[in-house]
This record gives sequence, C-alpha cells and structure tokens, in this order.
Amino acid sequence: MARLAAVLKALARAVARDQKSLQSVVANNFFIVTALLLRQAGTFIYLIVGLVLLFPLSTDPLRKIPPSRLALWPLEPRERRLLRALSPWINPMTWVIAALALWAGRGKITLGLWALAAALVAAGFLLSDLPFAPMQTVWQRIPQFPGPWNHLIRKNLREMLTTLDFYCALILSLATLFFRSFAPRMPREALLALSVLVVLALSSYAQCLFGLDGRGGLSRYHLLPLQGWQILAAKDTAFLLIVIPLVLPVASLAGLGAAFVALTIGHDPSIHHLRPQLRWRFSSGSSVMLGLGQAALMAVAASGIYFTSALFLMPCLLAWLVSLRISGRAIDRQAAW
Amino acid sequence: MILCRNLARRFGEFTAVDSLSFEVAPGAICAFLGPNGAGKSTTVKMLTGLLPPSSGSVEVCGLDPAAKPIELKRQVGVLPEDLGLFDDLTVEEHLLLTGAVYGIGRRDTHARAAQLLHALSLEHGRHTFAGSCSHGMRKKTAFAMALLPNPRVLFLDEPFEAIDPVTSKIMRDLLESIAQRGITIFLTSHVLSVVEQIATQVIMIRKGRIVWDSPAADLPQGLEQHYFDLVESPVVEELEWLGSPRS
Repeated sequence: MARLAAVLKALARAVARDQKSLQSVVANNFFIVTALLLRQAGTFIYLIVGLVLLFPLSTDPLRKIPPSRLALWPLEPRERRLLRALSPWINPMTWVIAALALWAGRGKITLGLWALAAALVAAGFLLSDLPFAPMQTVWQRIPQFPGPWNHLIRKNLREMLTTLDFYCALILSLATLFFRSFAPRMPREALLALSVLVVLALSSYAQCLFGLDGRGGLSRYHLLPLQGWQILAAKDTAFLLIVIPLVLPVASLAGLGAAFVALTIGHDPSIHHLRPQLRWRFSSGSSVMLGLGQAALMAVAASGIYFTSALFLMPCLLAWLVSLRISGRAIDRQAAW
Repeated sequence: MILCRNLARRFGEFTAVDSLSFEVAPGAICAFLGPNGAGKSTTVKMLTGLLPPSSGSVEVCGLDPAAKPIELKRQVGVLPEDLGLFDDLTVEEHLLLTGAVYGIGRRDTHARAAQLLHALSLEHGRHTFAGSCSHGMRKKTAFAMALLPNPRVLFLDEPFEAIDPVTSKIMRDLLESIAQRGITIFLTSHVLSVVEQIATQVIMIRKGRIVWDSPAADLPQGLEQHYFDLVESPVVEELEWLGSPRS
C-alpha cells in the first residue's frame, strides 16, 4: 500500500499543478472585461466559459503518468486495479459530481441536470483517454493556402485551434447564428456587442502570438530566410482566417475592424513579452491594463464602423499595417528570442 | 568559407566563448569538439547569426551574419541544438515549408523532399506531427531541412546523437559525399568514434577557448585519447551501494 500511496501522492501533485494552469482564464481579456462590465448580467457568458473549461477540468488523472513509466513500476495487479479505482477521486470534478448526486437525491436539483453534468464530466474523462491520432487527422484537413507561407499559416491555425479561446468564440458565434435563425429581429446594438465579444474572446491570443511555438519553433523562425513582418503576417493571417467566419453571423465588418485593432495592440507584447502558453487552456494576456485598453479600442473601432461608416475600417487596417512593419523590424533586430 | 577572428560572447559576468579565431576551408568537414557547456552551441549560434557576438568578427560565405542575415540564411543549412521544429507541422510539411521559404520551385521541393524522406527512412512517418515524433525522427527531419535548400555551408549541432546506427551511417556517407562536392560542414558532436571517421579538421574547445586546431591527419594520437588529454579526462565515481546486498 505504501507504493500505491506514493503514486497517488505524486499524481495528486501533478493534477494540482495542471489545474493551476487553468487559472490562465483570469488573465484572459474575455474573462476580465465580462467580469468588469457584465457582472450579474453575464451569466450566459460565465456558462460558456464554464462549459469550455469543463473538458480540461474533467481529464483522467491517471493520464498524467506516462504509460511506459506506469508499466515499469513494480506494482501488483491488485495495486494497479486500486490505482485505477482511486485515481478519479484525485480530480475535484469527481467530488463535484458526487456532491451533485447527493443534492439530486435530496431533490435540491433535478436528476436530469445531474445526469447532464455527470455525462459532460464523463465525456471529458473518456475523451482524455483517447489516443491523439483522431485529432491529428482533423489537423491534417486544414486547407492549403497559396504562396510560400502556406505551411506557416496552417501551423498557426492549428495552434489557435488548440486554445480554449477559439471554442469560447465559436460557441458565442454559433449561439448568435442559432438565435438569429429563430428570432431574425435582433436589436442592432446586440449584434455589435456580440461581434466585439467574439473578437474579445480571441484578443488575449493576439497578445501572445508566439506562445505556442515552443523553443524549437522560435529558433526556426530565426533560421528561415524570412523578414520579421513576414513571420508576423503569417500569424495575423491565421488569426484573421479564424475571426472572419466567426464574425459573419454577427456584425462582420465591425468584427473585422476590432480584429485589426486587437492585432495592432497585440504585436508589441507578443514580441517583447514572450509568454509560453499551454494547449487546451485560455490564453493569458500580457497585463490587465493592456487588455482593458485593447478591449476599449476594439469597441471604439467596431462602434465607429457599425454606426458611422464602413470607411472606419480603413484607419484600423492602416494601423495594423504600420504595426506589422514596426513590429516586424523589432523581430529582425532580435537575432533570437 | 568560415572565418572567425577573436570571437567572444559574454552573458553578464560569464564568458561563454573567449577570443576564438579559426578558419574552415571550402569542402572541409570541421569537427568542433568540447564538453557540455564549453561554448560549442554558443559558437554555432554566433556563426549562424542567431546570437550576436560580444566582440570579434565572423564571416561565413563572405557574409557578416549581423550585416546580411537574410542573405546568409539563404546560403547555409542549420541543424540547431533544439532542432527548431514546429509541433504543429508534420515531417513532410516541414520540408515543404523549407522549400517554399527558400524560393525553391514546387516541383523541385517535392522531388527533393521525397528523396530526403526516402534516404533518411522517414517515409513511414511523413504525416506524423513533429510533436508526436520520436527524438530520432525529429533529428532526421531537422537534418533533412538543413539539406533541402542545397546550402553552401552546413552547421550541424550534435547530428549523431540519439539516432540509430543505420541512419548514422547514412548521414556520415551523405556528409562525406557532399563535402567532396565543395559543401563546407561544421559540426559539433560527442560521438568521437564517428567524428574520427569523417572529420578533415578538428577544433577542440575548453571553457570557451580553443585548445586544439589542426587537420585531422595531424592529430598526434587517436581522437578520443587526444580529447581526454587536452579537454577532459573521465573520472569514474565508485558507487559502492550498487551491487551490494539489498535491504
């Protein structure tokens, strides 16, 4: 039993560290701005964040031990069975589901709601045990693009698709599309607000564009015969390719303007305050003040385009191009990250 | 082809590389040897323009890496210490990316990529993402990326570590063959037995300073013994508890 206790203790430590990384949500623009502005009215937004966080929270703790290592440990078959049975209880979500079951038993919540929560957690638990291969097949289906940056853009798209920010924006966009299909007379202002929210969900990523490239990726950028603005343009193209379809069901031009602003503000911290990011987590922004500034400017740009004229898109585009040039030179000056 | 004069690199108070001066001729296979932390990778980074020197000068293919970085990058192939791979690209996509950004035509890129994948036994894993590859596959991918643009100079940081014997032999033969065609190779390695077979020039470095620089043929004794004499002698610790009765 001492061996089992040692393994469970190490596992608990690893799980606790992993779940700390989920705290990146508190440095995410979307969370900060909605928490400040929406407060009680933001229940729907918090539900989306909660739903997106549910899957990484529900992963199987035993997955933390590399299978080859687990197989090498001198554990008896009985100990292995016990480990399998006890390890889910290291995950706090198992306790939450158990507590909800108690509540359901006392009639404080409906059995259906408990079943839904339990099913979602179980899905996250089982999905985390699936081999990576199906995901790889999906990533390979990302379309090809013309030009020499094809594979850089595809790589950047794959990186963005492994952040929770994207799924948050996707749920918002799909929810709007669904709502508009059944209630076509949606207030104009609501469309603008949703458009800004969709881009806001992705704006923290714009502040850490190189966060998922890893050390090897960063050194490769400096080995390729590319100028800094070209590397950055490949990043921005991927960002815009994600944003454009997501803002189509809302206010598309306003959303595009907000995206240009998000990238313009995000270039400098992306290059000068490099912060490694984790996959399947929310991106963490550079600072709260910068995040608020970015959000405010995005809202101003989107409102200008939406309420005044589409011509307001031009200064946004111009600012982005200037930033691309200046930040590109900054990359060139940095021989290596 | 490679020319260094009084090259130095300091990190705060620590001097990683101190007054290195050496020359590597076209078509040479120069082995740059030294223990971990001796300054080998720092030197390679300075030669490839990844790290600016604190003082001294570097010339590769007649170009100063600091003044003409893009032109230099077009002339050289590099296998960096950290391999420089993107987790989100497959083995084949890395090669296609290299061809595209070095301005090689699509047809040529595909043909070269196919040949390299075959030569380095990477065909079966061509669609595997670098993040899921074994270390050996990652190294071979980075090596193929260094070769694909047909560089004039190859910088290889520990190319023979963590690869299987067959690939090691293939790489050795490839390097010897391309050196005969005039490509200059500058490599660091700890696998002295392999280095001894292919190097035409040997430079040894210890605590950031050159302690030996000569053609390989001028080594006074076997490479390994000479390395132990000049650079670092092995000290074997007695771990008495190993092999003692278990409690």
